[in-house]
Amino acid sequence: MLHESAVGGVAPSVNDGAICMEHVSHLFPGGTRALDDVSIRVGSGEFTSIVGPSGCGKTTALNLIAGLVTGQSGRISVAGRPPKAGRHDVAYMLARDSLFPWRTAMGNVMLSGEFRGVSRGDQESIAREFLGKVGLAGFENSYPKALSHGMRQRVALARTFSMKSSILLMDEPFGALDAQTKMQLEDVLLKLYSSEQRSVLFITHDLNEAVTLSDRVIVMSARPGRILADIPIDLPRPRSVRALQKDPHYHEIYAEVWSWLEQALLGNEVI
Amino acid sequence: MTLSKRRLGILSAQIIFCVVFLLLWQYVSVNKIIDPIFIGRPSKILHYLYDSIFVSGTLFSDAGWTLSATAISFLLGSVAGIVFGLIFSVWPLAEEFCDPFFTAFNALPRIALAPLFILWFGLGTGSKVALGFSLTFFIVLSNTVAGARSADPDWLILVRMLGATRAQTFFKVTLISAVPTIFSGLRLGLIYSLLGVVGSEIIASQNGLGQKLSYLAGTFNTDGVFGVLFFLSILGVALTWAMGLLEKYLLRWR
Repeated sequence: MLHESAVGGVAPSVNDGAICMEHVSHLFPGGTRALDDVSIRVGSGEFTSIVGPSGCGKTTALNLIAGLVTGQSGRISVAGRPPKAGRHDVAYMLARDSLFPWRTAMGNVMLSGEFRGVSRGDQESIAREFLGKVGLAGFENSYPKALSHGMRQRVALARTFSMKSSILLMDEPFGALDAQTKMQLEDVLLKLYSSEQRSVLFITHDLNEAVTLSDRVIVMSARPGRILADIPIDLPRPRSVRALQKDPHYHEIYAEVWSWLEQALLGNEVI
Repeated sequence: MTLSKRRLGILSAQIIFCVVFLLLWQYVSVNKIIDPIFIGRPSKILHYLYDSIFVSGTLFSDAGWTLSATAISFLLGSVAGIVFGLIFSVWPLAEEFCDPFFTAFNALPRIALAPLFILWFGLGTGSKVALGFSLTFFIVLSNTVAGARSADPDWLILVRMLGATRAQTFFKVTLISAVPTIFSGLRLGLIYSLLGVVGSEIIASQNGLGQKLSYLAGTFNTDGVFGVLFFLSILGVALTWAMGLLEKYLLRWR
């Protein structure tokens, strides 16, 4: 409660960074152990990904940080405060676009401002700005039914970034897209990230995606989720998906992350 | 508006079918192959309709009584159905309490209540409205409850993370996402309002198309019965069509 005034701002405590999870374990209501002594730290302005086999508890970790799930042991701090759903300095993005079909692209992006006390005029100009940034200028008045899968997820990206929250939690936001569309959207995200400077925690099961986007990749084991490795990705920014594909260093890092993930998957087989 | 060739073909086939059917009907009736007391005669039905619409105008005054009762029972029934449905979706305890009573009442063949309603509300509009209401209410209620539950869980997570209050979540997500399902309930509810009202009129009433129908049948005026039936069916189609237009406008995002 020390940092009550820091709503929407940068993480107040240098040690905690943007997100800090210390020795967190979590049991599902049925008694299954989802997380086992997990510690994650996301520095301010850092892009961190968590990869791991499905069911390893990576989404549970994200939901604990989001404040959507409670009842863990250990300590979690988000921008120096305990997690809570609905905080204005945290934005959350899901795998499905979850756009409201009865709202236009503009209306969907403006939604975030509506709940967060932004004036109507500002909502409109912000929505227009971010729709432009995700490459959807001219589609402001289209309803979701008229947009492709990829375009809808672009709207969702615009909605997420338009919140001006310093911390972004993303749960496999491109998981439901085909390979080409996914690469396009990764580029959009890379651009948004470099121009907006937010702290991002990104859940994915796609290694390419994790290495391409992140400053760090955390590999988790099969259930109960433990941290196997925390690998820094020292690829220079600005990055582009296509250029990285031709970069030998990218493939070295990919191989390293993959060997760790392989271990996580093998652990899965033993169980 | 241009009609496609296919559409035009179907339309002309339908018209030809109707003409042939009416001619056959006329032939069978004139030659008494089937006694006209059972099937009437198209030329006389047309004459009845012309007479009671343009000359005496009695059909319109009866239609007015029927339609006004239908409108009232539809309005009351759907408003009550939507309100209760929304209360149930916000407050599940209320639904758990009401469920056995509503189920029992809804299982009752509603027309069986007509004698009681006539006893309570008399032979005027009141008893018709009561019967129409009792049908419409449950249809709209169950559709509203289903609609309010159909909100995508992802939407609820999203607005929770955005910091929406309970009221905001209700008005901006739950209510709007229920509208399409509520509408299909309203479309059905309108037809059932008409059914309840006409049914009640047939059983006992001072006025209305149902009363007219039962009077004409009682005096063996089969042409009149068919005339009123045609009129009722056109009325039903018109009501559904108007409802469809409103729905199309309100749900243009679909």
